[in-house]
Amino acid sequence: MIQPIHVGMADLVVSKHPAHLVTLGLGSCIGLVVYDQLSKTVGMVHIMLPDSREAKNIPKPGKFADTAVPLLLDELIKLGVNRSQLRAKMAGGAQMFSMPGKDSAIFAVGARNIEATLKMLAAENLRLVAQDTGGSKGRSVEFDTETMKFMVKTLGSGTKEL
Amino acid sequence: MDTSYGFTSIHMDAIREVGNIGTGNAATALSRLLGRIVDMDVPVAELVPIYEVAAHYGSPETPVCAVLVRTEGNFSCSLIFMIEEHKADTLADLIIPMDLSGMDEETQLQIRDSALSEQGNIILSAFLNALSMITGWVLPTTTPAVARDMLGSIMDLVASMFGVIGDSALLVRTNLHVKDLDQELGGTVIMVPDPGSLETLLSKLGVL
Repeated sequence: MIQPIHVGMADLVVSKHPAHLVTLGLGSCIGLVVYDQLSKTVGMVHIMLPDSREAKNIPKPGKFADTAVPLLLDELIKLGVNRSQLRAKMAGGAQMFSMPGKDSAIFAVGARNIEATLKMLAAENLRLVAQDTGGSKGRSVEFDTETMKFMVKTLGSGTKEL
Repeated sequence: MDTSYGFTSIHMDAIREVGNIGTGNAATALSRLLGRIVDMDVPVAELVPIYEVAAHYGSPETPVCAVLVRTEGNFSCSLIFMIEEHKADTLADLIIPMDLSGMDEETQLQIRDSALSEQGNIILSAFLNALSMITGWVLPTTTPAVARDMLGSIMDLVASMFGVIGDSALLVRTNLHVKDLDQELGGTVIMVPDPGSLETLLSKLGVL
């Protein structure tokens, strides 16, 4: 068993086999993996917000959906993956708090993250093969190149393969 | 670390003092509700890089219960009362005047969430009342929202709230401790000001 690499908020990590990437406690954020099954290469990013145009400066491109997805793709290509083989899976974008009679943008950030990430995947022509998004519960995700499986854990309902 | 707030130690002291008065009032309110002594720690006001917010509070997968209220107007902010889930249930049971053990789990959860939402509401409203007294502002609050989730997921949202404006979060937090119990029942009050709100508050207090 190799040491897991923790992909923190706004972090972006790519790796060849062997790698075990983990993101714990995703709430409104998105855990996106893009992988190449044949060469066993994977990248994971922890996206916090939908749009970098809302920000003054962008010290971490992994923070925003619109900057994270192209960068993830670039980094994977640098590792020599075949672009046409790439597949994507994602989890997160929950809305933990809901207030009656209030749809404040602050609480809907999860839904905006999902939408922006889907849009970027489509724009980059990346095929999304599975997702576990939205709802009201946070998630932990992990991806191991040994099994090439993307596992999603939710409090109360256990771990499942996505 | 990003210091875009440009706050000096005088500003941080003022923010800490607001936290102190707010939490003091919150502790009194909780004490009155429970009929027990409630102690509080000295509040901490700190700038934390948003990327470290989750790790700052403990293990990201710790099950917690969080109650959130918002105020919008002169001063817009979110306030969160967060407590580990098993402690939350003990706290809830202190004001539930019946034995829940015979009921099904879903009913127990609903009754406890309702009690916690009320306790959170009293604590956080007391915090805002104190703020209202200092500033003279009317600070209307939303109804409380309760979530049971991983600590990391709750903090993920807090980080996103700050993430829009920059890369550091200003957190004011204090721990409340309920006394005279077999176990320690501590919870944390976290103030999450909206973008620009702190400047408004500091200028009202005459330090900006």
